[in-house]
Amino acid sequence: MHRTHGNTPEIELLYRQHGPALLLFAQAVTGERGRAQDAVHQVFLKLIEKGSLRQVADKKAYLFTCVRNAAFNQGKLRERNVQLDPDSAWFSPPDRDYAGERHLRRALEALPNDQRQVMVLHIWGELTFSQISDLLDLSSNTVASRYRYGLAKLRDSMFAKENSCANS
Amino acid sequence: MPTLDDDRFEAYLKQFRPCVPEPLPAVEPPQRARRMFILGAWAAAAVVVLVVGALTLHIHTNRARVAENIGNARTAEYLQDSQPLTMRSANALVAKAPSFKTMVDDMAFRSQTVPVPKGKRSAVAVLGKEKIKL
Repeated sequence: MHRTHGNTPEIELLYRQHGPALLLFAQAVTGERGRAQDAVHQVFLKLIEKGSLRQVADKKAYLFTCVRNAAFNQGKLRERNVQLDPDSAWFSPPDRDYAGERHLRRALEALPNDQRQVMVLHIWGELTFSQISDLLDLSSNTVASRYRYGLAKLRDSMFAKENSCANS
Repeated sequence: MPTLDDDRFEAYLKQFRPCVPEPLPAVEPPQRARRMFILGAWAAAAVVVLVVGALTLHIHTNRARVAENIGNARTAEYLQDSQPLTMRSANALVAKAPSFKTMVDDMAFRSQTVPVPKGKRSAVAVLGKEKIKL
């Protein structure tokens, strides 16, 4: 990338720091890796062009908001539950636990879209419930409630699959 | 696998790191785009100045031509309406002509024909139609 703008290095640093979580979040919203990648790129390229991050207090939450808007603006996203792409990996699994990665992805796929977004934002985006409530324009209680439901479903779904795999 | 409590399950989930996105595509340097914009603006300004200059010149030329035509027409009208050349009419011509040269030219080429009264013909016209045998 050309380093011509004053704050381009800062934006590149933000891309390295938050890019993976932003991509995961975009994938959770769009269901497709290609569209998710496009949304993330679109946001950062626009930031490089405009260089308007200096006045943003909470840069991370701002980036997640931008990516969410970009993902929604790509169209065909108005439906509440999107079909997720089953082929592309979302995570780098620990200890090459590819089966675990697949279980996690399918468990996330089984979640309702709103719970999935909250889960991704809190666990991998490391946003607080307060930040998530601002981002999704919900109350903190609603966010916490969705997180609890999502976490329980995720755990049930993952361990049920792992146990069924272990039994078979 | 035993069921984990919330904190341990969260810690387990965080072990899965999200995939790294592809690098950002190369973008055109903003300075280059800015330079192109400035060059384009200068070129547009130069074109506008040229067009305005040409229009101004054209308008001025037309005005001068029209003024000259009007002046000539007025002199011609004045001479046509005038009576046979006398000192008085010559003085009037000198006073009203745009320049001395114009006045002299107009007087030199001025038609000296005096209108013939109605029902009469000039001698020149009668003699011109007669067939004279020599």
